Order: sequence, then structure tokens, then C-alpha cells
Amino acid sequence: MTPVKEITLTIDGRQVTVPAGTTIFDAARMNGIPIPTLCHQQNETPVGVCRVCVVDVGSRVYTAACIREAENNMVVKTNTDPVQASRKTLVELLMSDHPAPCARQQHSGDCELETMAKNFAISTPRFAKRLTPSHQKDESSLSIMVDHSACILCDRCIRGCSEIRNNFVIARQGKGYAAAISFDTDDPMGSSSCVSCGECMVSCPTGALTNKHVVGQELGLAGGTSVEAQELLALPVFKGVSGTFLELNKGAVVKRHFKKGEIICREGDYGSTAFYVLEGKVDIFINSPRAHVDTEGSEQGFLSKLASKLKPRKEHQREEENTQRKYIHIDAPVDLEYDHPVAQLQAGDLFGEMTCMSFYPRSATVRAAEDTVCLEMLRNVLDVLQKNKTFRAKLEQNYRTRALETHLKSVPIFASLTQDFIDRLRDRVELQRFTPGQVICRQGDPADSFYLVRIGFIKVSEHHPGGELVLSYLARGNYFGEIGLLSAEGLRTATCTALDHVEVVKILGEDFREMLERFPDVRASLQAVAQERTDENRARIHNLQNVPVDDFLRQGLMDAQSLLVLDLDRCTRCDQCVKACADAHDGITRLIRDGLRFDNFLVATSCRQCRDPLCMVGCPVGSIRRRNSLEVIIEDWCVGCGLCANNCPYGNINLHEFPAPQGSVGVKATVRKATSCNLCYDHPEPSCVYACPHDAAHRVNPPEFFGEMLSGKKVEPVPFSMAPGMMDRR
Amino acid sequence: MRIDQTHRKWIWGSVIGLIVATAVYIPYDRLTMGGAHGGTVLGIIYGSVGFAFMIFAGLLSLRKKKPVWRMGRTSTWMRGHIWLGLIAYPLILFHAGFSFGKGTLTLWMMILFTIVIVSGIIGAIFQHYMPRMMTQQVPMETIYAEIPRIRGQLLDEADTKVAEVTGVSMSQSAMAAANSQTGGVIVTLVQMEDEVRNELTEFYDKELRPYLEQDGAHGCAIADRSISAESFRNLKTLLPDVVHPVVNDLESICEEKRELDHQTRMHRVLHGWLFVHIPLSLALLVMGAIHAIVALQY
Repeated sequence: MTPVKEITLTIDGRQVTVPAGTTIFDAARMNGIPIPTLCHQQNETPVGVCRVCVVDVGSRVYTAACIREAENNMVVKTNTDPVQASRKTLVELLMSDHPAPCARQQHSGDCELETMAKNFAISTPRFAKRLTPSHQKDESSLSIMVDHSACILCDRCIRGCSEIRNNFVIARQGKGYAAAISFDTDDPMGSSSCVSCGECMVSCPTGALTNKHVVGQELGLAGGTSVEAQELLALPVFKGVSGTFLELNKGAVVKRHFKKGEIICREGDYGSTAFYVLEGKVDIFINSPRAHVDTEGSEQGFLSKLASKLKPRKEHQREEENTQRKYIHIDAPVDLEYDHPVAQLQAGDLFGEMTCMSFYPRSATVRAAEDTVCLEMLRNVLDVLQKNKTFRAKLEQNYRTRALETHLKSVPIFASLTQDFIDRLRDRVELQRFTPGQVICRQGDPADSFYLVRIGFIKVSEHHPGGELVLSYLARGNYFGEIGLLSAEGLRTATCTALDHVEVVKILGEDFREMLERFPDVRASLQAVAQERTDENRARIHNLQNVPVDDFLRQGLMDAQSLLVLDLDRCTRCDQCVKACADAHDGITRLIRDGLRFDNFLVATSCRQCRDPLCMVGCPVGSIRRRNSLEVIIEDWCVGCGLCANNCPYGNINLHEFPAPQGSVGVKATVRKATSCNLCYDHPEPSCVYACPHDAAHRVNPPEFFGEMLSGKKVEPVPFSMAPGMMDRR
Repeated sequence: MRIDQTHRKWIWGSVIGLIVATAVYIPYDRLTMGGAHGGTVLGIIYGSVGFAFMIFAGLLSLRKKKPVWRMGRTSTWMRGHIWLGLIAYPLILFHAGFSFGKGTLTLWMMILFTIVIVSGIIGAIFQHYMPRMMTQQVPMETIYAEIPRIRGQLLDEADTKVAEVTGVSMSQSAMAAANSQTGGVIVTLVQMEDEVRNELTEFYDKELRPYLEQDGAHGCAIADRSISAESFRNLKTLLPDVVHPVVNDLESICEEKRELDHQTRMHRVLHGWLFVHIPLSLALLVMGAIHAIVALQY
């Protein structure tokens, strides 16, 4: 073994001997002489970017102690007044752009920069703050908040990510004032390949990278036990998760024991956690009675029977979808059968993902079928787990073996797929996750796959010269990508964007084409759907392009597809429309004869059947949906969470308490349901229009109606049946 | 409701029906001994058809009771109600040989029928013109049943406005309203001479508040738009400029109350005639049925 060569130098008047190659910083440290620094850490390669560790070695300029190797007979002065002044100026410059107190200082009071500034007695920097920050805060990651304004570009996070964790996600980008750390190719952190190991947070000397735990996410322990990081790491599903991260997020995972029959969560409740079943089995079901939306009651007695004959329902349904709903889609690996909405989950299953990731109300009630142990976790932990290969593999395996079949069969047009083909797909489908705002497929790109929505909501939009037109929203149980695959050009005709945390099942183009070849009925159904969607999209764009935009149209009327308009010159304010509406819907009216007035027309407060139906986004059980035609309807399995009512910008969805149907076991005397105008889809014409004695009530297509009004033409409301969207189905 | 081109078919049908009935009636009256009367075959036909039209017209109210039943659009029933009801009157006159009743029952029936027809025509005229008038004259129109509640809101708002500048709470509800806005303490925002403050308080207590409080404008001079404008103008000359925005708000509240009153009046006119038309129509139908049974039996 070659003896290590030693050198001797003088630091602040003390003679010290250190191995050759030692930096001045280390030499001082080894001999108990402190040199302040911001960019340097013992476990990272020194880079000397902050220059706070400058020392006087007698040369023309001060040198950074962290990178300069000590030399034999070198004389180093670390604490002279000029050196201190130089350091103070550097710190003052850094503080001039620093958002003091930063998140770290607020939470734990250990922002290294602010502590150093305090030591230098810097209260208000002499230098002006930059006028505009070059980067905004990045809160896309669920576990780490990035505040670029607090970043001092010390590169400790970059070295932590690359040298310590070998993840190579963080780098520097930009020059001068525009310089900043970035993730992958300047992606938001949440969309990047970051695995949330937490090393960057640990490395960061300021509040530029902080754990979101700092901002107050903590799970109550009531009825549960806190789980130590070591215990979690011992679980197979946590294999590979950063221990640092788990330490930082202590309290974000709680182990809960449920006795047989105990309710774990209830449908409609708001929450922010997901559950992972460690041991035991749970029943997942919808408890809310399905009633009060299909308003056909049982008729008893001669007069009632006679009346029922005059109240045609099913036989007068407008021609539209001819498929029956067989499944209710919920926030779990399984779907519930409509006629028997109960399923069972077992150890290794995860439920409540949408509630946890996107704060949607619980979609189903979960009860312990036997003594059960669950891990309840917050979204930052779930997010890290979702990025963990072991956990993802386990979830995907569960999905492939247990859920893919019911998922496919829950989509009516795939009901005829054979078992062998589903088995073939089982190993070939790919589960893909997308963060909010991430584009799943872009208009004009080659179409290479078909997608089934498993979790979350997707916006389908089309770009045209006037801007972006939202064509539809898709929730669990919907699918997309068939138009591009079926078309001769083979290009995407619309852009699909994740609205929240989305997971889709990707079926490759070759599998899709084989499915079409083997199952002609599936091909016919898909072609019909593709044609219908294409026609509807064309009609919408045509309407948009042909209508002038004016102030009052900004009220959202141009987005409506069907407005209830009352001609106030004819309306005698007799309220027959309101009575008819109430009569048609269990005594609860779904319209209010009040609202916006334009000229002599009153736009009544009633569902507008928006093109861009925001109400649908977030429904935990998918009970509010658009039929294959115009109407936005609320299905009878609504759990009454009220999210759609909150989402409706026009206040056209209301919640009502209804008496629970007789014979309902284990439910309250009343059940809460959302109600909104469904255009009386079981009648040839909405009741409000039909019942108006004065021909004052009309359902109109706003682009046509107000377009004519704005162009100065005489306006005559078109009959309901002529409204676009209905016209082609009658 | 507007009687416009959509009624054309019904108008022509009624005119043709009336011409035919008249054409038949003239020779029938000339050739019948003692002139036309209800006891002849043609007389009974006229009576039966006229009564059938009356019954159809009367069924409109039942139709409205079941708005969802698919028995024809209610607007179609309404047109039938107007035009068949109208033509029923000459048919009954033909049935009676233009006699205004020979017995007490028939005399009263004709009187009632005339009142029903006249009230119906007046109602149709009202419903033709008044909706447009209401649209033009009441821009802040609200749902009729909501008017008392909105009146209460206006009163609370006015109380709060006044309390803000005078520091005097007007009522418990005003106190509550002011408290909710000021966080529990009524704050006098403006320093004023007592005399000036009293002017505002007196005007509010004696003129504006009673008007806002009551349903209608009984005995309130301020209900008149010109008097109101004059009063508020005078008030502004007395009060400091800083209080003028509050006075303007009070004037707007007063104007809104005036509109609500106007809407109430118009609504009552628009629907008030029904209190005559409907009960008398029912009575007429009952009497008509009795008359038919009695006449056919004997």
C-alpha cells in the first residue's frame, strides 16, 4: 500500500497537516475551523458555485475553499474582514431575490441562507429585487413543492439526484436570470420521471424544494396506528420506496384494523385518502337506493291505470341509445353490476384512488367482510407508490387477472368479445398514468392505440382557427382513439388531455385491428359510434363558426345546446311550465322561471345541456352522463354527493331529499339525489314546452336562435324536434 | 298569449262555422212557426253543439291540471277554448232564437254566459297585450310569489344603509342585517349635525320605510315617481355630499319597490279576471247540464 503523501499548511495562523488532495475546506473542517458554505455538502462532489466559502490564500482573488486543493506551505486566511465583507456581499446578493421567510424557514426555521444572513446581520438587502420571477412555483408533484424563487442554484439537488440516487432527473437549464433547475426536459416535476425519493429536498439548503408535508398534510391517528418507515419498507409493496421520503412523511400512512361488518368509508363522503388492503377482505357496494330519477311509479286503481296510459314513458322514448347499462363504474379495481351492485376486494387491492388523488367524493361504501387490516394513505404517499415499480407491477397484475375482463365487458360494444381474446389482451394491454394537463394523444398524430378509461376524466378537444373546442369529457367506462384507427388517414382527429389523475388501458393498434377482424359486430358498433361522434363534432364546429360572438354570448349561452327560452311577449306568467316540470318529476321542479333576459326572451334556469358539460367532471359513480344524444342525464344510482351541482356554473343542478323507497334496508328515511332537467327524455317533447298554453316556452338551439337575433332577423323559435342533435334521431 | 297568425286556422274555422250556422239559421227561423226556438230539432242541434263547445272550453282547466298527460298540446287546447267558446255564444243564441231566456234558469244562464264571454274576451285582450307591457315596464321582474320576500330584502337593505349613516337601528331585522355586514357593531360612518341626521331619519321613518314595508302604495306619496324624485332631490340638498351615494341607493331601492308594486298590479289584472270567468263558467256548465236534462225530459 502506497503511503499517503501529507502536506502542511497554515490556516488562520494554525499549522495543519492533511493528506495531499484535501481541499482547503476539508482541511479547515478536519482541524475545527469552520468555513461557511451553501453549495457544498460532504457527500457530494464540490462545485464551488456559491462562492460563500471564499478564503484568502494570498493570490490576486479569493478562492473557493470547497474546490481548491490545499498546497504545501499554503497560508490561508478564512476570517479576515475583507473575506467576511466579500461573503456578506454574496449573501446579501442572494438574499435580494430570496422570498424570506421561505417555506423551509417558515416551517422549521433552518433555511441555511436565511440563517447565514442573520449571522451576517443582513436585515434588508441593499440590492433591488428582480422585477419578475423567471419561473413560477411548480406544485405539480404531490410530495415536493418547487419554489424557483427560493432557489440559489447551488446544484445540491442536482448532485443529490444524480450522484446519490442515480436518478438523473434534475439538471440546470437557461442562462443568467433565466437559469433554473429543471426536471427531465423542463417538464413540471409531477409529470417528469421523478420518483419522489426526496433526496433533492434533503439536499436543498433553502425552501426551493420542500416536502408538501410542510404545508400541513397529516393523517389523523383516530382508530389507527402510525407506521414507522422501517415497518413500511419491510412490506413487499413498499420495496424500492425511498426511506428518506417515508421518514419525511411520517404520519401520512396509518395502519387501521377493521372488524367484520365495520364501515371503512361511505359513498358520497369527501375524503383525501386511499386504502390498501393488507389483510382480509372487504365488500364494496352502492348503498343508496336507486330511485326518483326514473319517475314512473306503480299505478294502482282504475283511475291511476287510466292516467298511466296517458302518461306514456318508455314507449315514447326518443330514439337514441339502445344499450342497457349493466355496470356502474366506481373508484376501485372492479365495476359493480347494475342489478347487484356489490363486489369484493381482497389483500393487495387498492381503493379510493380518485378520492385520494383528485379529491372526488367516495364512489361506493366499503365494509369489512372479515377482520381486515388496511393502510390508509395520503396522496403524496400514494403518488410515490404509483411510481414505484414493485407496487405498480402488483396493481397491474391485479388488474389484468381480475378487472380487465369486467372492465371490457362493462363497455356494451365489447360485450361479445370471447374469453380467449380477452385472455390474449390480458398480457398485452398496457396501463398508463397521466397527470393533470398531460396530453394523452394529440390531434394530427398517428393513431397507434385504442384507450379505455380506467380512472379519472379526460377532455377531448379539437383545435381550429378560432381556438380550442371541447368536444366531450370521458370518464371511467368510456373509450377513445377508435376514430383515428378506423380512418383511412390513420391520424388522431382530436386531442385528449388528462383533466385529473388519469389511468388508461392502452390496447395496441395491432390488437385493435385483430379484434375488428375477429368480431364483425364490434367493428360495426365501433364504426357507428365513430361516425356518430364525427358527425356531432362537425355539427358543433359548424355551429360555432356560424355564430357571431357578442357580449351576452359570453354568458355561456353559446356553449349551451338546448336552452329553455320563454317569449315574454307571450308568457302570461301562469307557471304552467313549472307545474308541468314538477308533475313530470315526482313533484320537484327542475326549472325556475327566472334568469337572464335578452330582449323579450327569458332564459329560464334549467339545464342547458352544455357542449362542455363541466358537471360531469368528477362524478364518482359516473351517474351524470350524456346519452348518445343531446341530454345530460343523472342516472338513478346517484349517491347525492353534490359535486355536479357545485360544478355547474349556472346553478342548474339541485339536490333534493326524497323519501327512501319502501323496503330499503339500512338507509336513512330520506335519500339525497341530484336533479336536473333531462329534457324529459322519456317523452317526445319536454313537458314544460308541451304544457305551455301560450306557445311561449321553447327549447331552442342557441347558436341558431341568438345568431339570428344578432343578425337582425326576426326570431321564431324552432320546434323542439328541429333542434340539432335531436333532428337526426327523429 | 298572443292572438296572431298561429290562430289563423281557428279563426277561419270559427268564421266558416258561424257563416254556416247563420246560413242554416235564417231559413230555419223564417220557415218555423213562431220563429226559431230550442224545442225544434235544429234548435236542439244548435243547443247541443253549443253546449258541447262550452264543455270543451271548460275542459281546459282540467287539461291544465294534468300538464304531463299527452292529450294534445295545451296551446292547442287553449286555441280551442278561445274560438270554440266564442262561437258557442252565437250557437246558443241560435238555439234560443235570440230570446234572452223565457224562464228564470234560462234567463240566468244567458246572463252568466254573457258575463263569461265578455270576461273571456277581456281576459284574452289582457293576455294579448299585457305580457309585452309587463316585459317593457318591469325590467326587474321577478317571480310573483317571490315579491314579498324581495320586498323584505329591500327593506332590510334600506335599513342597513340608513343605519350606516345615522347610527340608528330601525328594527330588529335591520339590526341583524347591519350586524351581519359590520361584524356586530353598527358604525356611524359619517359625522353629521343632529339636525341634518334627523332630516334623513324623519324622511326614512315617515316616508320611505312605510312604503317599503307595505304591500302596495296605499297613502304613500313617495309611490309617485315624480314626487319621489323631488323628495330625494330635496334630501340631497340637505345632506352632505358624502351621504349622496346612500341616498342614491335608497332611491334605487324605492324604484325597485315601485316596480314590484307595478308588477303586482299588472299580475293581478292579468289573472284577476279569471276569478270571474272560471267560477261563472263552472256554474254555467252545471246550469246548462240541468237545463239539458230538464228540457229533454219534458
